[in-house]
Amino acid sequence: MSNRYVYGVVEGDTVEFETEAVAGADRVYTISHRRLGAVVSDIDTTDPEETDEDAQRHDEVLREIMDDDGGTTVVPMQFGMAFESDRELKNVLRGARPAFRRAMNDIDGTVELGLKLVSEADADIDREAIEAAAADRFEPIADQSVTNDLFSDRLVLNRSYLVAEDERETFDEAVADFEADHDDVIVQYTGPFAPYSFVDVKIGAQQ
Amino acid sequence: MAHPQRRPDSSSLAEVLDRVLDKGVVIDVWARISVVGIELLTIEARVVVASVDTFLHYAEEIAKIEQATAEGDLEELEELEVEPRPESSPQSAE
Repeated sequence: MSNRYVYGVVEGDTVEFETEAVAGADRVYTISHRRLGAVVSDIDTTDPEETDEDAQRHDEVLREIMDDDGGTTVVPMQFGMAFESDRELKNVLRGARPAFRRAMNDIDGTVELGLKLVSEADADIDREAIEAAAADRFEPIADQSVTNDLFSDRLVLNRSYLVAEDERETFDEAVADFEADHDDVIVQYTGPFAPYSFVDVKIGAQQ
Repeated sequence: MAHPQRRPDSSSLAEVLDRVLDKGVVIDVWARISVVGIELLTIEARVVVASVDTFLHYAEEIAKIEQATAEGDLEELEELEVEPRPESSPQSAE
């Protein structure tokens, strides 16, 4: 079990707790390089199998990190980022330090919330008016937002919002208000997630 | 209660998979299994990168920018250096 499965990167903190982790591990801990730390669990492969269970564990561990010690900011990894050993991991923490620190800065003290607005079957809705109403209501509260795929004709809006922890209640209220004002749309409100959609960092290697 | 609120739902598997499998920081396999003879390349974008092709295009563009700015930014350049034995290299504490 000398390989390391990485959940995310924290700064100035060391996170350690027992939990149900990816690939049957029962403990997560932190491998640090200077002030940056990668929260990992032990694993015996660098190519972990993608299962629903382990994808959910990855997400749950990130939530636990976010709740750790009264609130810890974590730059979340995509599923499957397993390293050969501590050496390779520290090399990436060092080499990509500016990118991790900028991402950390962008998401400090925030969570990601998901919102889907789906028109009721057979409802004759004014899509533009609903989109504009949603933008007016939610964009001022959020730090940033991104659109996701509109994979169905009935899907009027599918966005992720980056919201500061102390604006979450305001956002919850805005969603309730919006829902009360719009009988013809179904509101799917999800999260809080680690800010996956707001850390657009890819680290490549040239041989 | 002063004001009605909606609580977000965190239990949707589809919502979790959408994020965990498609978003978050991605690290190339070579950077995860080797430190010898590789050079790290970091790409940050404010737009969502949809495909490997787009990623490679960004990688090319960013490499050009980094080359152009390398001289003017020694601190950044040091961050990108790859050392053969990272754990034994002395680093000044922050």
